[in-house]
Amino acid sequence: MGLVPGVPAYSLPVWPVFAFAGLALLRALIMALSDTSAAKAGIDARRRLRGEVLTSILTGGPALLRKTHSGELATIAVDRVEALDGFFARWVPASALWIAAPILILLPVAFIQPHAALVLGLCGATVPLGQAVFGIGAAVASRNQFLAMTRLQARFLDRVKGIATIVLAGRAEDETQRLGQAAEELRQRTMKILRVAFLSSASIDCAMVVALVLVAVMDGRQAMLLLANGQSPALTYTLTSGLFVLLLIPEFFAPLRALALAYQDRAHAQGAATAILDLPEALPRPSPDGARTVNASGVMISLEDVSFTWDPARGPALDHVSFTVPAGETLILAGPSGSGKSTIMELLLGFIQPDSGSVRLNGAPLDSIVPDALSRMISWIGQKPVLFAGTLKENILFARPDADDADLMAAVKAAAVDQFLPSLPDGLETRIGEGGFGLSGGQAQRIAIARAYLKNAPILLLDEPTAHLDPATEKSVFESLQRLALRRTVVLATHSAAVHMFNGRRVDLHLGRVVTRQGAA
Amino acid sequence: MNISDQKEASSPALTDCQAVLHILGLWRRQAPRLIIGVMLALIALCLGLVLMQASGLRLASSVLGEVVITTALLRWVGGGRVVLRYAERLFAHDAMFRALADLRVWFFHSLAQGAAAGLGFRRAGDMLSRLVSDIGTLDGLYLRIFVPFACACLTLPILVVQLGRQSIALGVAVGLLFACSAFGVPYLIARSGRAEGERLGKNLAALRIGVLDLVGGLREIRAFGAEGRILSHVQADDAALLAGQMRLARRAAYANASAFLCGQAAIFLVLLAAAGLFAFHLSPLAVVGSLFLTVASFESAATLTRAGLQAGVMGAAAQRVVEVAAHTPDRKQSEAQTEAPAGTDIRLDGLKFRWAPDRPLVFDGLTLDIPAGARIAILGPSGVGKSSLAALLLKAATPEAGSITLGGEDISHIRADSLRRRMAWLSQATHLFDDSIRANLLLGRPDATENDLWKALEEAAVADVVKTLPDGLDTWLGEGGIKLSGGQGRRIALARTLLTQAPILILDEPATGLDAQTEQEFLRTLNTVTEGRTVILIAHRLTGVETLDRIWRLSGGVATAAAA
Repeated sequence: MGLVPGVPAYSLPVWPVFAFAGLALLRALIMALSDTSAAKAGIDARRRLRGEVLTSILTGGPALLRKTHSGELATIAVDRVEALDGFFARWVPASALWIAAPILILLPVAFIQPHAALVLGLCGATVPLGQAVFGIGAAVASRNQFLAMTRLQARFLDRVKGIATIVLAGRAEDETQRLGQAAEELRQRTMKILRVAFLSSASIDCAMVVALVLVAVMDGRQAMLLLANGQSPALTYTLTSGLFVLLLIPEFFAPLRALALAYQDRAHAQGAATAILDLPEALPRPSPDGARTVNASGVMISLEDVSFTWDPARGPALDHVSFTVPAGETLILAGPSGSGKSTIMELLLGFIQPDSGSVRLNGAPLDSIVPDALSRMISWIGQKPVLFAGTLKENILFARPDADDADLMAAVKAAAVDQFLPSLPDGLETRIGEGGFGLSGGQAQRIAIARAYLKNAPILLLDEPTAHLDPATEKSVFESLQRLALRRTVVLATHSAAVHMFNGRRVDLHLGRVVTRQGAA
Repeated sequence: MNISDQKEASSPALTDCQAVLHILGLWRRQAPRLIIGVMLALIALCLGLVLMQASGLRLASSVLGEVVITTALLRWVGGGRVVLRYAERLFAHDAMFRALADLRVWFFHSLAQGAAAGLGFRRAGDMLSRLVSDIGTLDGLYLRIFVPFACACLTLPILVVQLGRQSIALGVAVGLLFACSAFGVPYLIARSGRAEGERLGKNLAALRIGVLDLVGGLREIRAFGAEGRILSHVQADDAALLAGQMRLARRAAYANASAFLCGQAAIFLVLLAAAGLFAFHLSPLAVVGSLFLTVASFESAATLTRAGLQAGVMGAAAQRVVEVAAHTPDRKQSEAQTEAPAGTDIRLDGLKFRWAPDRPLVFDGLTLDIPAGARIAILGPSGVGKSSLAALLLKAATPEAGSITLGGEDISHIRADSLRRRMAWLSQATHLFDDSIRANLLLGRPDATENDLWKALEEAAVADVVKTLPDGLDTWLGEGGIKLSGGQGRRIALARTLLTQAPILILDEPATGLDAQTEQEFLRTLNTVTEGRTVILIAHRLTGVETLDRIWRLSGGVATAAAA
């Protein structure tokens, strides 16, 4: 460069300028490639992890919901996994580069200006030290921040589901304030993380500025000395190499800065990993062949001396309960609310395992039957069916997606769904709102019955299917259920007076014990 | 609700710009902090530019035998930059998160405004996605768009003037490149990424709904052996989301590369000038200063390129957030300003109502008199409109024709919250919150004493159950009251309703989940505990133990008196 007076500018070759252009293009290309491949790595990892988390949740089954709010589970599957993006897309490349790249830059600097290399090396060496100090704080802060985030989400989800209750109780203002507090807590937690993160990047800034100032001052002093002795090639060399080093300094610190920025991604990933590990282990679904199944035509159900406790402090929910339901017969479980009827249903569905005693289907212990085979044998109708986002038709086909139109229409007719179809705007294609919004309780229950018809399983479990219905609706629902119950083994939990419509054995429960039996139960 | 859904379909969609302006309006409370954040950023930027240029000049100027830049100046500028940059980032982020917290509160508030009848066809998962992810995205609006934009607006003139002093051609050329990198490329990217951004928000909401469906429907899924199907359904949503993210990532990579190239092109021009090519003739000292200034300036422009990519996502997010408030029904009720009168006589006159224009009429000329302190029953099979009647009384729905008066005042003139303090409704959909029994009860009356709580539990025939719980009133109910049986949970909700001091109680099937014996006992207690209050008992049948003043039977959209 024509820096020094007296040396003409045009004496410099022009080729380095064009080499610069070529290298810049090459670098842009490599940057784009590395960005896309980092993003791809992050996306692949998230796809795999989300699949694993969802499988874990499905493995844990309904029992998980007693321990964890559904909002928290959803946060793990959605947001925790999303937060892992930074780990793969930023932390992994940054942690691979942060030693190699600065050393690569340091080598030519050491060759051209050893004293500048020493300055850079020393300043660079302080960075990992700072990271180690700040990193510990960052990990703790990040854990707390995610907790605050999860709390906010679970709270909001719960409040939104019951928003009508809040508004009608005139408590909307209070709840808004509480949500405000949760949001404020989230802000404070987030700021704690950022304070640490910014401090760590400020420490890098600091190291960089020190390096810049030192190199500029050292080279300047040397140049002044050389100038005092008159023009010399040494002066030109000092100047050009000094400028070269100054321009390289930001590049030297860039990988270190990237590492500091990605540090919170690592902390997020650690938090996510802990939450994911708390979930039950994802079990691959065993293949039906080889494992035990039960002859599907005619199933006998028996409970032998079964006890089960949800919460030791509250005593047993079931206390040495035994009964038998022969194939094709009906058992009525009666008893007041909280007497253990639903617990028996959950045992028969395999959602929970008895603490002692055994549940048997055709003599085979329930836990020896593969879950797939078990679910194929059982139809279950609860107090309120869960209706998924989608249309009425999709919700009925949920029981058997490969059913053809004839089967579907037969189920619709048998469950008397066709009676209320005309009142819906789009018939079977009507979209259903959250919690079955747009349908009455009786209509929702008929969809559950249609599902059971479509599924056509030998065992039918009915858990207070008419608890929310009026007598007229209850009667017609029971009529549909009577037809469904033909030639199936049925366990019906109810305290409805209309239960006389079902013939069969009867077991009365009170506080988890059998108090009376009628028939041969 | 159907009604809100109809409105959502018919009201014109907001543009991104309107949505963003709306959001900015909501941030007014934090405006001073936000502005100070920008100011700090600008000062930090100036110091950064000065530092880079000064360290180059310090070296180069020494050649001329004079120290243009002193070591002390360098130290001050350097130190100041580090401190200011830290302060600026901390301050700007804090201001931003305060604004986001405000926005979340506003969002819930607006949602609650129109939700007296529940969420209707909106999904809780979608609302959650808006509250968490979409509002979370909006931090970029300030931190990644406004602040860097302000910085770029300051950098551009500095760059052009500084370079233009040496060579006008060089100044203009580098200035154009800077404008291209800081404004042009981001703008183009923002425009092309708009559709993708919108899809991203929707896909994320779809994933959340899918996951919540999976989690909430675990029983159904296990019972029907549908694990595989549901999993693949959710994974399809996931794949759609991830594919969109990949497309955005690819675009981001190209954007970054092109911003980098703009910066390198500018350096290239400065180098050409240094080599004395073309029309650029610079003094050697000026070349060094220009080079360092150019390098530092383009670093800040690169942030904006990335922001351009997110602008599409942010615009879509802003829309999704504002939409909830814009489509809140009951807007027209804001004119109602009267307090509820002291009298509690209720009169319904010629009421016509349907949930949506395409649904059949629920009421067609319903007329009903409920004097203060009366105990009446409204009977009828399900689907006849018993719950609709309660919704109308509480202004959770509006009649098509006819009027409802409370104490002689038309309820359309009474403020909704004042009206709702007069009436407590135990509906079929009453929600139990994931909180302690105590907190759930206090929702009915926040200042209730321990004795009040136990009395209400006693009346609702659930005190014995609560007494056996190890933690008593502080027992955590779990999601939707999962820790109790269905009937017990329902009675907790009933206790909450009885606890309110509203003079009018609307009890929709209060005895659900009770066995015949408990039901009779409960209804007998109800006769005494609600002394002096109006009781509207909505039921499908009577047991015979209720003492009632009047019984109405609903059918065919009208009420007929039945023998009491």
